[in-house]
Amino acid sequence: MEPSFHQPRTLDAALKLLASHEDARPLAGGATLVAMMNAGLAEPPVLVSLRHIKELKAVKALPDGGLRLGAMILHRELASEKRLKGGFAVLREAAGQVAVPPVRNMGTLGGATAFADPAADYPPALAALGARIEAASTKGRRSIAADEFFLDWYAQALEPGEMIAAITLPAWPKNAVGVYEKLAKVTGDLAIVSIALVLAQDKGVVTHLGVAVGGCGPKPVTAPEAARAMIGKPIDDAAIARLGQALAEAADPVDDVRASADYRRLVLPRMLAKAFVRASLPAKERR
Amino acid sequence: MRRTKQASPLITLSINGNDHMAVVKPFTTLLQVLRDQLGLTGAKCGCNQGVCGACTVLIDGKPARACLSLAANCTGRQIVTIEGVGSVAQPSRVQQAFIDAGAVQCGFCTPGMVLSSESLLAENPKPSVAEIRTALSGNLCRCTGYKRIIEAVRLASKAEAQP
Repeated sequence: MEPSFHQPRTLDAALKLLASHEDARPLAGGATLVAMMNAGLAEPPVLVSLRHIKELKAVKALPDGGLRLGAMILHRELASEKRLKGGFAVLREAAGQVAVPPVRNMGTLGGATAFADPAADYPPALAALGARIEAASTKGRRSIAADEFFLDWYAQALEPGEMIAAITLPAWPKNAVGVYEKLAKVTGDLAIVSIALVLAQDKGVVTHLGVAVGGCGPKPVTAPEAARAMIGKPIDDAAIARLGQALAEAADPVDDVRASADYRRLVLPRMLAKAFVRASLPAKERR
Repeated sequence: MRRTKQASPLITLSINGNDHMAVVKPFTTLLQVLRDQLGLTGAKCGCNQGVCGACTVLIDGKPARACLSLAANCTGRQIVTIEGVGSVAQPSRVQQAFIDAGAVQCGFCTPGMVLSSESLLAENPKPSVAEIRTALSGNLCRCTGYKRIIEAVRLASKAEAQP
């Protein structure tokens, strides 16, 4: 069968096309899918371009203080999105560190999230924020928590015929601060270790905390119990070290061209400490 | 054409201000159309994975990867290649600065470097060295001639500032 290419105007039309063949694929920015097609790793028989679907580009502030981000928003757009402030800033900072400028001009939030590379920048940021991924298909819509969405190396919870329509960030307290710290060999590379941290504090005492690590296993690494243990307690070196230790134990890193697994475990707690320091700085000094 | 269920294999692309017809399959990239059908060989095929930046073109004014852009997905967009920037007889200020600074070695990365620089200077006429480095971070030079390339962009930014 000759592959076919479609450019529907509405999400419903796109979903019908995606349901028409089990290997149909949505095409967002092309930054990963076309690279895989060029390498002969993907040959979707039905290719559905999402570029003309306006609702997928929308940013919407929710009444409860949350934010809903359309799947087709570009990395470049997210990196300068003013509504990504407070705790949400972790996603803005992550977007600004996805690959290099020409790729940030093409690649999208939904595309990169669906690719589910655990060393990429969105998975830890979305996990730290407690984001929900809105999956759409002809059967309807469902909302998947980030920590249930990312399953394994390049594997996520989408079913055949499903695509990401939007990502919803839940409200964080107004005084929350989000920071993204990335250690990479060069600008634009995938992370050796990255830390996504969302922190709210009251006079040095943690009130809200979200933390996830990239580059250290098949999916974003979290340590929910150790993070909960910090709530209501003062932020000090010992507490940060305990959380760093818990995350290093929860991590499942590999040796690869970027770094050894041992190095990643060693550097993770130090990157975490760096993130806490920056999150505690006054806004003007943070960047 | 858009109303048909399957996109027609014949498409029109706006390249350097002119409409060009091209015959494409769904997997045909913009880079393949430029090089193999239109004879616009300034954009190079380096990695074909979006990593090296040798295929850089401007799409709606922004640097983008021609190798990662499906041609059929580029209809209705303004594409600029190095051929649309200047010529040997009339180089752009950026191209002249690359010559003056000795920023061209083997030349394979140069079209992409020039286009990324053109886009930077259009948005930010007086970039800092750090801003130049960031803007060019997606263009690799295997000759490692980065120092003179950055010098060329600084030179062009000074030239732009003059009336």
